[in-house]
Amino acid sequence: MNELVLVFTIAGRRVALRTADVYSVVEIDGVTPIPGAPGYVLGLSALRSITITVVDAAAAIGVAPPAMPERGARAAIVDHEGHRFALVVDDIDDVAELHSRPAPVPGEAGPGWQRVSEGLVETARGPALLLTLAAVLSGPDAIAA
Amino acid sequence: MDDLLAEFLAETREMMEAVGGELVAWEADPSDRARLDAIFRFFHTVKGNCGFFDFPRLEALSHAAEDALAEVRAGQRRASPRLVTAVLAIVDRIGAMVAAIEDGGEMPAGSDDPLIGALSAGDDDDDGVLSHDPGDTRSARAGAGQRTIRLPVSLLDDVMASVSDLVLARNHLALRVREAGSDSPVYAPFERLNGILNEVRQAVTRLRMQRIDHLYAALPRLVRDLAAELGKQVMIDLEGGEVELDREMIEMIRDSLAHIIRNAIDHGIETPSARLASGKREIGTLVISARQSGNRILLAVSDDGRGIDGDRLVAKAVAAGVLTASEAEAMAAADRQALIFEPGLSTADQVTSVSGRGVGMDAVRANIERVGGTIEVTSTPGAGTRILLSLPLTLSIVPSLTVSAGGHLFALPQSYVEEIVHGRAGHIEVARAGDAMLVTVRDRRIACVPLAGALGLEDACDPQAATLVLIRLAGGDLFAIACDRVLDHHELVIKPLAPAVMASGLYAGSTLLDDGKPVLMLDVAGIARQAGLVGDVRGRVRTAAARDAVESDRAGVPAMLFIGLDGRRRAVRLSLIRRFERVPSGSIDLGGERPQIVIGDRILSLTGIDSGNHPDGQVSVLRLGDGESEIAYAFDRILDTVELPDEIVPSGRPGPVEGTVLIGGEAAELLDAHWLFATHAAPVREAHRPTCRIPAGDPWAQAILAPLVESAGYAVVGDGFAGQADVAIATDDAPLGDGAGGTLITLSADPDNATPDGARLYRYDRAALLARLAALRAGRAA
Repeated sequence: MNELVLVFTIAGRRVALRTADVYSVVEIDGVTPIPGAPGYVLGLSALRSITITVVDAAAAIGVAPPAMPERGARAAIVDHEGHRFALVVDDIDDVAELHSRPAPVPGEAGPGWQRVSEGLVETARGPALLLTLAAVLSGPDAIAA
Repeated sequence: MDDLLAEFLAETREMMEAVGGELVAWEADPSDRARLDAIFRFFHTVKGNCGFFDFPRLEALSHAAEDALAEVRAGQRRASPRLVTAVLAIVDRIGAMVAAIEDGGEMPAGSDDPLIGALSAGDDDDDGVLSHDPGDTRSARAGAGQRTIRLPVSLLDDVMASVSDLVLARNHLALRVREAGSDSPVYAPFERLNGILNEVRQAVTRLRMQRIDHLYAALPRLVRDLAAELGKQVMIDLEGGEVELDREMIEMIRDSLAHIIRNAIDHGIETPSARLASGKREIGTLVISARQSGNRILLAVSDDGRGIDGDRLVAKAVAAGVLTASEAEAMAAADRQALIFEPGLSTADQVTSVSGRGVGMDAVRANIERVGGTIEVTSTPGAGTRILLSLPLTLSIVPSLTVSAGGHLFALPQSYVEEIVHGRAGHIEVARAGDAMLVTVRDRRIACVPLAGALGLEDACDPQAATLVLIRLAGGDLFAIACDRVLDHHELVIKPLAPAVMASGLYAGSTLLDDGKPVLMLDVAGIARQAGLVGDVRGRVRTAAARDAVESDRAGVPAMLFIGLDGRRRAVRLSLIRRFERVPSGSIDLGGERPQIVIGDRILSLTGIDSGNHPDGQVSVLRLGDGESEIAYAFDRILDTVELPDEIVPSGRPGPVEGTVLIGGEAAELLDAHWLFATHAAPVREAHRPTCRIPAGDPWAQAILAPLVESAGYAVVGDGFAGQADVAIATDDAPLGDGAGGTLITLSADPDNATPDGARLYRYDRAALLARLAALRAGRAA
């Protein structure tokens, strides 16, 4: 099994996304807020002349209140259903090889994490929760299917 | 239909090219089942398509080939070389026919029977080769008109999306280039890139366009099925199929149009017996017409059915508690009919399988609004109903205004904007009713939504300090959005937003401005909905009542106050103004008899401009209309919309100024519309043109001389003219007899024969001839 994942941290926890889901990794600057949008949607930004929707990953999972990113905050650029998003995260670690299939988390990962995760995976950078992009982007109020 | 035919021909030719290869492979290996199936499908498709068009020979040929191949597929027959050859001959004949149809020429002569006969089973074991003659198919095809290719729609969409992105990237780059200044070495190449990109963008916009025929194609069938189901007889008449519309837009309105048609047939058109009883033709007519008007497409669906029963709608609305009886009483007929767009009010007493199930015209209205369109209904009870859709030409590029509110920047589509007024303008009154804010603009009391408040940015709003953007929604609702400032006008490429953002119902999309910053496009209909303004029947009734009351009191005449090019304050009645335009000064022509201006594809008389003074750069003009003709009036800038005072001090003499009025304590000249139109809108024509007789039998005189004489201001008459012409022109070849009348000019083919007094001129001495004609004309007038 040599599937690659991007390993990064959200709210201090190590998580992973399949590299197939990730378009690039950037530093965010200049976010235009969207009044009336859900809190985890921080606003819009422009990346290479394309509008991207900036999402606070921790708030989207529901483990932290939304906060505007500091200048130079790191974000993973992902494409989902024809739209491009920037997931603002704590820190981006590295691309690593997947060593195991997602397995249920021993004990409970917590309601927010449980909703957005496929399970625990072993990576070359250590164990991480493998995230489901659609679940993260649907926000904390979405009912887990 | 021509479009469908072209598509059929393109498809057939394309398939023939593919099937050519299959045929060769099949000939090499007649047992190859996959090849056989492909060839069979070709004939099957051609046969099917022929049914739509009247090509009996094509149909007979493909039918015969299909039958023969079906037998092979069923294993009843072996694929012999003889059969392959016969099929090939038929493919070639079809090719020749398709080429002939394409060229509009004659079908290939000769009977098809031998070809069909050659397919017959029988001597399949006989390896004899039937001679077939491909004939001129290749050369015929070379003569075909413009080549077309077929592309997957997704590829076109990709190209369009890329060009949109390219425009955004260009805008971003433009900012950097501007910062670098015009002496930067990248300036010239960038300008060139800019020009090319604009061309590409125009071409791509054309790619997006599709004839509305594509929308029409499915309608006859829909109408036929519905009519049959409902026991009615309906004839459909489709007009304006050549009008082009954004492909995406066609998809967006397809369902709405079907719904409107369903309604028209179900509720509008009566049963044949009812129609006969009310003295109508048994067969109902449904007319769907499309036309382009500026940058909008008007799509009208008219039926000659029973019309909308406004009273019944009102009764339903009262029963449903939407209206009170006294409010209903006050409603105008048009407002009553517009109730069909209210949710939950259907005139259908019975729920049929076709309509009346609660998904009504309100859903159609919401759909049309979503694409930036408007919908209106007019109906005459007993005579019919007309639903008019007004749609923007394209979805991709939206003319927009940028506005600021609460420190944020937003865009809103210009098509909705009816007027922009400053809150502190004298004729605006602000009233608060509880939490709601109302403004009165020219006797219309309308709801005012503070933009910052609607978006949850801040609560405080001082309408006096705000700029009010008056928004006219589909269905006619009017409301005002109060924002801090209106900043600029842009042509924006709008992209959809992520679903989580769209869910807020406040935004229609987003785009990047020239500086590369994202900006949100407001969904004005959504904002109105959230503020509880749409479908507010009571509100509409109230404004109608208020309107009536004020009109009976005194109808103030609204006017536009502006500064003319000469710096003077002027006013013009608002009802005359069609629209404002900003045009490059190069489109102004001051050289002619009267100043003219080119706006779009029209030439208008231009006034308000000093003929000696050609302006530079961009010029603002008002387009004034009297209902029939239009003239343009150049101005410097607009000050405000005002109400004309009762007192107008008339000017002493007729001219462009009717009189002077006092507005805001200062004098302004009020334009005299009657004088302007009388002077500038009438075509240039002299009351009485002098006549000139020229030899009727001389082709040179008729073809070359006559236009020249006419251009000199004469009416040309021939030998048949009974009266006495003012001037007569003779040639050496065709001398005029006595009594030709007037002054005689003889044109000679020999330059040496010309006389200095102008009585005899060289026939190609244009200057001398024109001078002589002009002198005679001036002499006659004197």
